[in-house]
Amino acid sequence: MNPMMFFADLIPPHTFWNAANGSPEWWTKTLVALLAVSVGFFFMRTAGPRVRRLVIGAVTLVAGAFFVLYFVVPQPVNRHAGEMPLSVPESLSFWFDDALPIVSTIANTLAAFLLGLGVYSVLTIHVRKVWRQQRDWGFSVVLLVCIVIMALIGYADWYDRKFVGGAKLDDPAFWGWINYANDFFFNGLLQQMDAAMFSVIAFYILSAAYRAFRIRSVEATILLASALVVMLSLMGAVEFGWNVLVGNGSMFTLTEIAKWLRDSFQTPAIRAIDFGVGIGALAMGLRLWLSLEKQGAN
Amino acid sequence: MNISSLGSLLADDNWQNQYTDTGWFAILLTAVVVAFVLLNIVRAEAGGKKGKDLFIRRIAGLNAIDEAVGRATEMGRPVLMVPGLGANVDAVVMQALKIFSYVARIAANFGNPILICCAAAPVYTVAQEMIRDVYQREGLGDKFDNDSVRFVSDRQFAFAAGVSGLILRDKVAAAFFMGDFFAESLIFAETANSVGAIQIASSTQTTQTPFFIAACDYVLIGDEFYAAGAYLTRQPILVGSLIGQDWNKILIASLVFLGAVMNAAQRGLFSPAMTSMETNDSVTKKLDAPRPVKKGETFTARLFNPQDDITLKDRIHREKYPDAEVPQPDAKVTDWR
Repeated sequence: MNPMMFFADLIPPHTFWNAANGSPEWWTKTLVALLAVSVGFFFMRTAGPRVRRLVIGAVTLVAGAFFVLYFVVPQPVNRHAGEMPLSVPESLSFWFDDALPIVSTIANTLAAFLLGLGVYSVLTIHVRKVWRQQRDWGFSVVLLVCIVIMALIGYADWYDRKFVGGAKLDDPAFWGWINYANDFFFNGLLQQMDAAMFSVIAFYILSAAYRAFRIRSVEATILLASALVVMLSLMGAVEFGWNVLVGNGSMFTLTEIAKWLRDSFQTPAIRAIDFGVGIGALAMGLRLWLSLEKQGAN
Repeated sequence: MNISSLGSLLADDNWQNQYTDTGWFAILLTAVVVAFVLLNIVRAEAGGKKGKDLFIRRIAGLNAIDEAVGRATEMGRPVLMVPGLGANVDAVVMQALKIFSYVARIAANFGNPILICCAAAPVYTVAQEMIRDVYQREGLGDKFDNDSVRFVSDRQFAFAAGVSGLILRDKVAAAFFMGDFFAESLIFAETANSVGAIQIASSTQTTQTPFFIAACDYVLIGDEFYAAGAYLTRQPILVGSLIGQDWNKILIASLVFLGAVMNAAQRGLFSPAMTSMETNDSVTKKLDAPRPVKKGETFTARLFNPQDDITLKDRIHREKYPDAEVPQPDAKVTDWR
């Protein structure tokens, strides 16, 4: 028998991290978790700033250590349902594999709580604006009405699909007015307005390019010339004419020059920036993990 | 469990097959990168105690922060800050908020209004705490307006529309866009430009950096974004970390160069190198006739693609389940969860 069964995948899908719904084991684990959270919450409420910072640092260290170890411990290869680990390292890898969704769920749960605070922020700002009739308060009324309508109709549609209509509501022939209303507000209005905002970018690209592509310095001139070559290489008629001029198969066709610019200058430059960004993120993550970061304003 | 049984478990054939070919190089390289950063933090802290000041080259975008906030104060208009579209509080968001803390400190001392628009609720809560802390440390806690840090929307273009509306209605005098930006970057930059705001931007997304360069006054490119903390505060830990990052960049550039040379040498510089041996499933056999070395057969390719050996996975499967059907190479075997 494997000596590290505790860390292994016992009877999937019930692992160290969960249990059969409603079983005594499930109740025990839930109560222990609730107790731990309550004690932790009470302790943090009463502790001083120094102790609080220490606890936050410790929690950050442990949480970060999980992902560091997950990266270091080899991942299971070809794992199957109900498979038993064959060795110590495999037990560990199974344990981490089982734990990952649970740890991710903790992060999602925290984010869900924080979303409530975000919505509260939006509501207080706009309700106050309407109440005091500040400048442009009409927009706030529209926003508040939209929030209420979307929340009510979205919830009613979800309830209808989940508990009343079921799978048959996938077919619009069975839709009621709630489903049509949700479709109208979500697909008919929200998605279309999203698309409209996205399409605005086309015009902004034009105005930004007009400002950027001006001969102000050597660098700007190089940028202008490179952009011109790449743009012309994408215009069929221009490319055809140029190719006739330099001869098809020549290394100086517009397509070849544009490809050379992309492969020899653009791609290496982007990769170099990506390396820098990656190392920077790693260093920042390391400082956060080890609580070396201090308030940046000082 | 005694020592001998542990030894036998570690010497298990499964360990040999599965765990010696799963990316030792990536782990070693990460360890070296981390060691360089930590070593330089220690060096910088020791140097800081002796009063040594380490050099950081000039970054125009960061020098312009004071100018931008000063201009906003003169005009009596707010300073806008957007920490990107990141959904979670990660390293990018934290770095953006650190820079914003610095901006907020200057604005607080000038008595200038600020506006921080967040696209994610977790970012909003952390940003509010950090900015409130800045005001309190400056002794201006009563001047902090809760509404100056606000959650707008977590839908990309709803956020873009909301922030653009704020820029136009409040006529912001300075705008800071720092963090993860996507298609909305140009909407922000062009809208802020249309109201005459001075703009300092930085995106960790290389696809958006050109848009910022085209539309903004100052842009922090790539890792300049992460250098901002060290540049602005000169804290030894941050300066040391920055030097560690430079060491790492030299290391990676050297590895890229070395890898390219080794790869070229192994595949032939001017004509394809030939091989008469083939290694498959950890078994080397002689070929009937020599053939050119394949792209995936070089030392460098195997070093960076340690899990590409599909036959190895199949063999492990067959050893554990001799009678089972061999799964497709890409099949996700843990889907039962």
